[in-house]
Amino acid sequence: MELRIGICHRPAPGTLSPAWIAIVLLASAFAPTHAFAHSEQGAAIDFWGGFTHPIFGPDHVIAMVAVGLWGAFLGPPAIWLLPVVFPLVMAVAGALGVLGLPLRGVETGIALSAIMLGAMVAGAVKPPLWVAALLVGAFAVFHGYAHGVELPVGADAIAFSMGFVIATGTLHLCGIAFGALSHWRAGRIAVRLAGVVIAVIGVGFLTGFA
Amino acid sequence: MKERLGVAAVLALLLTKPALAHSPIMGIGGVAGGILHALLIPEHGMSLLALGLALGQLEKPERRTGILIFVAVLTGALVAAAFAVGEAMAADVLLATTGILGLLIVTLWTPTYLVWAFAAIVGLTIGLDSRPEVDSNEEVIRMLVGSGLGAAISLAIVAEVSFLLRSNALRIVARVMGSWITAIAILVLSLRIVTQMTVG
Repeated sequence: MELRIGICHRPAPGTLSPAWIAIVLLASAFAPTHAFAHSEQGAAIDFWGGFTHPIFGPDHVIAMVAVGLWGAFLGPPAIWLLPVVFPLVMAVAGALGVLGLPLRGVETGIALSAIMLGAMVAGAVKPPLWVAALLVGAFAVFHGYAHGVELPVGADAIAFSMGFVIATGTLHLCGIAFGALSHWRAGRIAVRLAGVVIAVIGVGFLTGFA
Repeated sequence: MKERLGVAAVLALLLTKPALAHSPIMGIGGVAGGILHALLIPEHGMSLLALGLALGQLEKPERRTGILIFVAVLTGALVAAAFAVGEAMAADVLLATTGILGLLIVTLWTPTYLVWAFAAIVGLTIGLDSRPEVDSNEEVIRMLVGSGLGAAISLAIVAEVSFLLRSNALRIVARVMGSWITAIAILVLSLRIVTQMTVG
């Protein structure tokens, strides 16, 4: 099947290749916006609501990416251990937040996590594995608690949680993918620079400039 | 290629879309509706994935025995569900069991007897939690048969496919999935507890 349009000249003048049609169809599949049928205060509490929850928090995003970056920088087994530790501890802390148990200094802890993790990447720090896991786990407490407090009670809990956890894991994977550049000399510099940027943004969050 | 297919199949199961809790799927009833019911309830899909990943760590005879235990207990539980027995706590027990299974996968600590015990618990709770909300008794039975078939077939597929995840690189994928499964179970259980406390 070929669609004739006026501006396309491959594979033949005036035709659209099957590959392009497939791309357009795929793009269309991602295009529809989600209905907010189950919503609380305007936020969807379904899979999509859970998926976007961590992504729309820049302070969370940079820390999650930093975990992946550091894991990739440290190499195996840290490359998978850190992204495994983070969601587990985050979920436990999230449960504490959902249950309404008090925790002080959450925002400070989140900002510090960006500063510390960014600094670790920037400085190419390679502590023992257990120290790295402990550090990441400790910071996951603050992120998890902050998310837990904000989680909407009721509605589609499992779909929301699935989206939430998968988004967190995806951010780690983004960090790991970028961190994989550290196998090359120039990439190593780029990764360390990313660590500097993350730490600086963390300072911005801590001081209120960001 | 087989490994890629395996990962794709497991991811597809992980990303099952949520269905409305225990309501028949619009326009699809009977055995087919039951099969879809088993696949589209996220709690069931996630627990089957977790159990399949755990069974996939066992050797062939132990893995097949685990699947048989699951099917046997599931069948009994579906019969009980037909009489509307024991539905109250099934979903919460299933979630807690799934969370623990996720931890076993993270640590890759899967003693045979323990995995078999979990196969029995998952079979029991999925069966008891599978009763559809329809009026006709014949329709209930048809859908329960479908639910049983769907659950048994999906578990067998995931267990056999996840056996392929035993290479070093793909075991990492299994560990990451295990951590996600446990994290989801913890969050959902806490949300349910608070919802029950709030709603009463």
